[in-house]
Amino acid sequence: MNKEIAITAYKCKKCGKIHYPFHDRCLECKGREFEKMHPEGDATLLAYTVIFNLPWGFDQRFLILGVAEFENHVKAMGQIKADSVDQLKTGMKVKPSWEPIKKQYGEDVYGLKFEPME
Amino acid sequence: MRDVAIIGAGMIPFGRRDEDTLMEMLAYASLKALDDAGLGDKTVDAVYVANMGGGMLQHQSAIASSLVDRLSLLPAAAETIENGPASGASAIKNGLLAVASGYYDYVLVVGGEKMREVTGWRATDFVATMTHPQAEYPYGITLPGMAGMFTRLYMEKHGVTREQLLAVSLKNQEMGTLNPYAHVEMALDRGGIFDSPHSVVNNPVSADPLHLYDLCPVSDGAAAIVICPLEMAKKHNKTPIHIAGFGQATDTQTLQEREDPTDLKAVSLAAQKAFEMAKLKPSDIHVAELHDAFTILEIAESEHVGFFKKGEGGKAAAAGKTRLGGQIPINVSGGLKARGHPVGATGVAQMVDIVWQLRHELPKNRQVKNAQNGLTVNFGGFGNNVLAFVLKRVE
Amino acid sequence: MAMDMELEMVLRPPQLPMPPYPPKMVTLANGKVMVIRQAVREDVPAILKSVHPCLFIERDYYDVVSARVYGELLAWYRYRVKSEYCLLGQVDGYLVGLVNGRLENEKVGMSYHTLAIDRGLRIGSHLFAAKMEYHMEYLNQDQVLVVAESPIGFRRWMVEYPLIETRIPHELGGGDSWVLTRETYFNAKPRLVVGDRPVPQELMDEAMLDIKFADDDTIRERIAGLKGR
Ligand SMILES: CC(C)(COP(=O)(O)OP(=O)(O)OC[C@H]1O[C@@H](n2cnc3c(N)ncnc32)[C@H](O)[C@@H]1OP(=O)(O)O)[C@@H](O)C(=O)NCCC(=O)NCCS
Ligand SMILES: [Zn+2]
Repeated sequence: MNKEIAITAYKCKKCGKIHYPFHDRCLECKGREFEKMHPEGDATLLAYTVIFNLPWGFDQRFLILGVAEFENHVKAMGQIKADSVDQLKTGMKVKPSWEPIKKQYGEDVYGLKFEPME
Repeated sequence: MRDVAIIGAGMIPFGRRDEDTLMEMLAYASLKALDDAGLGDKTVDAVYVANMGGGMLQHQSAIASSLVDRLSLLPAAAETIENGPASGASAIKNGLLAVASGYYDYVLVVGGEKMREVTGWRATDFVATMTHPQAEYPYGITLPGMAGMFTRLYMEKHGVTREQLLAVSLKNQEMGTLNPYAHVEMALDRGGIFDSPHSVVNNPVSADPLHLYDLCPVSDGAAAIVICPLEMAKKHNKTPIHIAGFGQATDTQTLQEREDPTDLKAVSLAAQKAFEMAKLKPSDIHVAELHDAFTILEIAESEHVGFFKKGEGGKAAAAGKTRLGGQIPINVSGGLKARGHPVGATGVAQMVDIVWQLRHELPKNRQVKNAQNGLTVNFGGFGNNVLAFVLKRVE
Repeated sequence: MAMDMELEMVLRPPQLPMPPYPPKMVTLANGKVMVIRQAVREDVPAILKSVHPCLFIERDYYDVVSARVYGELLAWYRYRVKSEYCLLGQVDGYLVGLVNGRLENEKVGMSYHTLAIDRGLRIGSHLFAAKMEYHMEYLNQDQVLVVAESPIGFRRWMVEYPLIETRIPHELGGGDSWVLTRETYFNAKPRLVVGDRPVPQELMDEAMLDIKFADDDTIRERIAGLKGR
């Protein structure tokens, strides 16, 4: 079952700039009114890395992370579903999903994941 | 505004200092700076303490109040400044403004951090708390991870190579062997960390494309300075070092919201302001301490402050232009790479190293000959809060 | 001291034959070459001299690990274990680290300890890898049981290989064993097991000649980094 991507981005009603995460005033024009929007469509990978020295709370050997831009221009960070960064390149298409990203107090925490489409 | 000068500087060796508490480290560094200034039993008007993790790592708050009590500096004004890894420079700036305004005359600024009290996992998590609490932190991103993403983009855009990054770690760890205050006192060998197939174990990927030796270590340490009006500085025993300019600027918390994530705007702005105020240009600087928490940052900052054009910093490092004796010696102390990076202490430690350089107090093998002007850059978050200082020797 | 050799022969277990570990050399981050070779019983007294100063270092459980290593090696030297081996890491003849273990049976290995007498050079990683290499490639075992006694060990072995958690008790009597299987080993080999063979004769001669060891204070400073400043 595919879960809906529970991220809310904010489009400035005055100048149209898209923000994620939330800012109380528009980074461009200081506008305070935003239209809520949800990330749509597939995404394009803008940056990525694999880290081997993980923080407390992550037990796996490594974690691949990246930032991607959705078709409606929302940009967000997520974990990448791949075995190695050799499968990745900037500019490639990735499929977003909303899945467990870690455990906290025994419960799953949900977040963005991206899977390479090429 | 009054001109302000540094009249005392002190540091304790960085590293893993299991035997000292955070308060002890702050006290030792403070006493060294106070004694260096020759203040004797005189007190100071105010104390600014830079520290990022006392609350989280030591479960201790109101550190500055505790320190003045310990040091018998009562009833001096005191406060703790937390501004991530730029806490050190922030505390200096606050002290500087207080003296420049005419309100205080003598101010002690001390920065310290005790990070090795916890395991590596916890320390990594502690540093990661700087990231955005909803949009970044939950994913497991770390500061080295941010740097990894930044490095790849910088490589793609500006042609920086792994070999150029390597030149920075080789240089800084070599300089660290000459610095008795450095955390890591081991010179690296190009073969062992790059050419040899054995380097996969010696220098593994840490945050791709950054490898272990592209990162600073996790350290304990403290450093301190004493400042006062330049006018009064002249009657103290050490050559006064004038804080001729400073600048500070901020940027978006997440990299994705920057128009060009390879553009470290806060670094450029902070440096520009510092140069303007000091009425100097990048080419007037004789020695610089840049915030090389990751080797890529030394290269990127050397471009953003104006020592080199964009795309030239990596080549300059590989060509030896940033070594002692080169066009602009950078991180002669070994930088964060070798001196270590006890986060709250770093900004102050950079300043102490430049003070020693400008006073011409260092042994020959790490003294920049006849250095008159110096620059420091203290980089907070992932470039979202940056401070730069221009220092001048006063004859 | 006169020894009752008859009784001694009862107490002394027959030593299990083990194929030798062929020595190899590894280039370290500082450019120095570390020779990794199997210790012979006669090396034990010299090794113990380097282990001794570590007994008093609490940092990273050096005291616990080195006290146990001391006992294990002594037991081997005095013929009280039947299947123990010890691999040494030497740089310029100086002992910089060691690993030891034994055979639980023909197919299962029991990893004991990893003691790095110099820090910050991944010596522990190289030596632990050599130990796993010995069990898998030369003793041809199916699995090795491992426990960590310090957080650093945990991060290096359990997370990096990664080892699999089990409920099998470990001989050291602490937490349950983690296991290295042949599959895990051969998957991890390209990134964790390195070294060149054969070791040139002069390097081998230097390593075999006399095990050199730094003085107690140097060893203590290297490990604990106590600069006293
Ligand atoms: C890279 C890193 C994960 C290595 O950690 P590690 O493998 O657990 O290292 P250990 O704790 O086992 O260190 C063992 C020795 O290796 C050396 N060492 C560790 N990290 C080193 C580094 N980055 N560079 C050089 N030497 C290093 C030290 O000599 C250390 O000895 P010490 O215990 O006396 O300090 C860790 O240094 C790190 O997280 N660095 C980044 C810190 C950071 O992000 N800071 C904030 C930036 S804003
Ligand atoms: Zn707007």
